Amino acid sequence: MGEHNGWLIWASYLAGLLLSVAPMPGFMEVGRPLWLAMFITYWILAVPQRVSMTVIWLLGLAMDVLYGVLLGQHALTLTLIAFLMLTLQQRVRMFPLWQQSLVLLVVFGLAQLVQLWLNALAGNRPPTLAFLLPALVSALLWPWVFTALRSLRLRFNVN
Amino acid sequence: MVRLLVLAVLAATLMVVDARFEVLKPVRSQLGLVLMPFYGLADLPVRLWDGINQQFSSRSELLAENEKLKAEALLMQRRLQKLATLTEQNVRLRELLNSAELVDEKVLVGELIGVDPNPFTHRILIDKGERDGVFLGQPVLDARGLMGQVVEVMPYTARVLLLTDTTHSIPVQVNRNGLRAIAVGTGNPERLELRHVADTADIKEGDLLVSSGMGQRFPAGYPVAVVNEVIHDSGQPFSIVRAVPTAALNRTRYMLLVFSDLRSPEQRASEAAQAQEAHDRELAEQAKSPAPSSAAGTAPGAASAPAPSAPSRPAPAGTGGAR
Repeated sequence: MGEHNGWLIWASYLAGLLLSVAPMPGFMEVGRPLWLAMFITYWILAVPQRVSMTVIWLLGLAMDVLYGVLLGQHALTLTLIAFLMLTLQQRVRMFPLWQQSLVLLVVFGLAQLVQLWLNALAGNRPPTLAFLLPALVSALLWPWVFTALRSLRLRFNVN
Repeated sequence: MVRLLVLAVLAATLMVVDARFEVLKPVRSQLGLVLMPFYGLADLPVRLWDGINQQFSSRSELLAENEKLKAEALLMQRRLQKLATLTEQNVRLRELLNSAELVDEKVLVGELIGVDPNPFTHRILIDKGERDGVFLGQPVLDARGLMGQVVEVMPYTARVLLLTDTTHSIPVQVNRNGLRAIAVGTGNPERLELRHVADTADIKEGDLLVSSGMGQRFPAGYPVAVVNEVIHDSGQPFSIVRAVPTAALNRTRYMLLVFSDLRSPEQRASEAAQAQEAHDRELAEQAKSPAPSSAAGTAPGAASAPAPSAPSRPAPAGTGGAR
């Protein structure tokens, strides 16, 4: 870890977990951004060699326990996001921010659909497609998250 | 790619195992032990803010609140006095009837530490878990009525499914006339719906629904909801009945976990009968023996049926937390 300053990545993962259970006003709850997925995406775009799929899978398990859903649901979707972003990484990192947002919208939307489907299998079917709202909110927040994380990365020289 | 496949298959396997078998429950509970502090941590700013607010709330406000609480305590005490005599009377009458239904259940006070982040489910986390004796399916209530039941137990925390979750149903009866029905959650925190109520059934706005205890999960007689809408639609086979939960499901911070009697009614009745028999025999022997033994000289009411005289910890009522 030492000279790579990898602790920042871990800290952002923990912050992501924390933010995904932070209390929010009821009406905003439907559109809770996918913080953890956003942070993971940023590190994939910035320092792909420092991101491990297995760690992401384990983070997904942690999310499952926190959310009280079947073990493996978030693990599956987070790994899916990580895989897609790792595959697209070389192209996406060249995009301007708003295009990155669009890519995120699609990728996160896909992940949310998988999540919806798994939830339906588990028996708690959410009533509407509002389940896609988090993907939209995340995409809208992406430029700010990206800028904030980049300034952090440059300050602490994560590589 | 290979790694994705391996991890995906692993996740799928975990899901199936978790859904079908009990093997992963302890693992999940231990993981919960590590991860649940996240909820506390995430809630910390809110708590700090509340604490600061309380520190700096003005003296006059505190005085006013004190006055109000004193008045409330007085009222409660008056009611309690009446309750004591009533409870005693009830115990005596029940003894006469040989039935040993619990008059007062044991309770434990839990505090809310988190709300489920998924907006489509109504579940909350409380700060009592396996170590405090919380068990799966345990009923949870607040000062005003039933809230729900425990669905997941971790060492120091537990997850509670609220009445209004779409996957939750509870057997109820109308307090006025004993009409039975099933109240189903709708996903709206202010609404329950009664299933399969006949169009001619005697139910109207303002009726109090209490738990009927039929499912043997919830104790009988706790308020659940108040009917606020009855719609008779001649095109529908049943009437539509909507009710508002009496418990403040999305506002309460403190709640009571009820430890009710887990014995079946038959078991309870037979045990009570045995106890009564033993008591009678004792009395008979006492009458036969010339010298009144000091040990058996206790008041007759205190010795018989086990359940009513079982010590019930006084409920530290959740009234303070209901604001």
